[in-house]
Amino acid sequence: MSTSPLLEVRNLAKRFASRQGREPAPWVIRDLSFSVRDGEFLTIIGPSGSGKSTLLNMIAQIDTATGGEILFGGDTIVVSDPKALKPGLDRRIGYVTQDDNLLPWRTTMDNVLFPLEVQGRLDDKTRAHAETLIKAVGLSGYEKYYPHELSGGMRKRTSLIRTLVYDPPVILMDEPFAAVDAQTRVQLQEDLLRLWEMGRKTIIFVTHDIAEAIALGDRTLVLTKQPTRIKAEHAIPFKRPRNVKDIFGLEGFAQVYEKIRAEIQ
Amino acid sequence: MKRYRVLADRILVCIVCLALWQVASWILGTYWVSTPWATISRFFISLWDGELIRHAGYTIEEAALGGVIGAVPAIILPFALRRFPTIVQIIDPFMIGGYGLPKLALAPLFILWFGIGIESKIAVVVSIVFFIEYYATLSGVRALDARLVQMAQLCGANERQVARHVVWPCAVPNIFAGLRISLPIAIAVAVVTELISSNRGLGYLVQMGAMNFDITEVFAAILGATVLVLAVGYAVDGTEAMLLRWRPSSDPLQQATSTT
Repeated sequence: MSTSPLLEVRNLAKRFASRQGREPAPWVIRDLSFSVRDGEFLTIIGPSGSGKSTLLNMIAQIDTATGGEILFGGDTIVVSDPKALKPGLDRRIGYVTQDDNLLPWRTTMDNVLFPLEVQGRLDDKTRAHAETLIKAVGLSGYEKYYPHELSGGMRKRTSLIRTLVYDPPVILMDEPFAAVDAQTRVQLQEDLLRLWEMGRKTIIFVTHDIAEAIALGDRTLVLTKQPTRIKAEHAIPFKRPRNVKDIFGLEGFAQVYEKIRAEIQ
Repeated sequence: MKRYRVLADRILVCIVCLALWQVASWILGTYWVSTPWATISRFFISLWDGELIRHAGYTIEEAALGGVIGAVPAIILPFALRRFPTIVQIIDPFMIGGYGLPKLALAPLFILWFGIGIESKIAVVVSIVFFIEYYATLSGVRALDARLVQMAQLCGANERQVARHVVWPCAVPNIFAGLRISLPIAIAVAVVTELISSNRGLGYLVQMGAMNFDITEVFAAILGATVLVLAVGYAVDGTEAMLLRWRPSSDPLQQATSTT
């Protein structure tokens, strides 16, 4: 694991454009700085409305920043000019959004193959990789189902492996498991950790669930209320590979949990 | 089972209508309303000797050519203008004007310009199909889910791929909703235009029947036109059901087609 950061956010600031004649819109994010190492699983936790999605949108280059900069592998990414935005930074940043955003007219398999298809990388090898991923998350047998025929958890899995299938070096995840029931969530978390162990890509995982942030991350950032900046940072010492179901019983879990809970309020 | 129930009920409705017709012809006289039996037998005789098919062929040709010439640019235009909302805004009042214009009032003009042949009928059909299909497709292009476009871009899709893999499939249901309305209307409009001035087609048969006080002929020709309209409607529904298998069956449109 290299020590130089793969992705760096420096003094990032965001305020949405205000309408004419109104007071300037308040800052959503201000002076927010952090960095992620290559292969790190970073979790970010913050109160609702703390601009978590906005932060990820800016990193994914689908929204502009008002100030500050973002560096990828040492290079500055243009973030202020909406016309210069490159969504996904040429496939180097994958983004698993809150909504699964599956194409309703494509089957599970065709949704997973979609990125490979548009990137012109669809061949026997990548197809086999897609099949491996489908099997790894327990979607075997559902390859020919349309999204409306799948459960919420299955759709989540499909959208997750749709991003994993093209191997972006950085993957952003915006509360991907927020909308599923508790049992499915634990299952999805285990799936995610297992898949992550296979490749150890860099992940920035945003959540409002403290237990989830601790269970998944190497490090957890706690955000303040708006205008958002980093309030605290916690290294999560638990060894890998982890078992999400056992994490609550581990020594030190309760301490970190209580600390983060106090910081969020 | 539900399928057979619907079919049985339809046959029942049909029998009731025919019975009422029969009663009407007893009361009003066959001279004015003919009879179901005379109409149906004339329909099949005319079908058998090729007369009906020949005339229906002209009507189909007008409707089909007019449908294609009207619908294809109407479907392409909203896609082409997707990136230029200002142009859509500029042409909107003209499009609404064109949409609302009583097209049959244009028929005499088209006859002057294009003659009483097939061209003037095609022109009327085009002028109706185009505007209906333009607005149907436009609403489909506007109903686009921006999050899906964003997802595709994040996956590395370029502008052309977004159009092909996201915008187009999003609009297909609306395109079909437009065709479902405009193509049967194309047949009906072709028939009505033939009434105004022509020397062939189902409308011509109706007109000749009326001029000869041959009400049976009128009804047989109208029956022919109705069969055509129904056939076109079913053809559109069938194609739609085949292309849009991905839609959840709770969709009311699909439910409507699945019961047929």
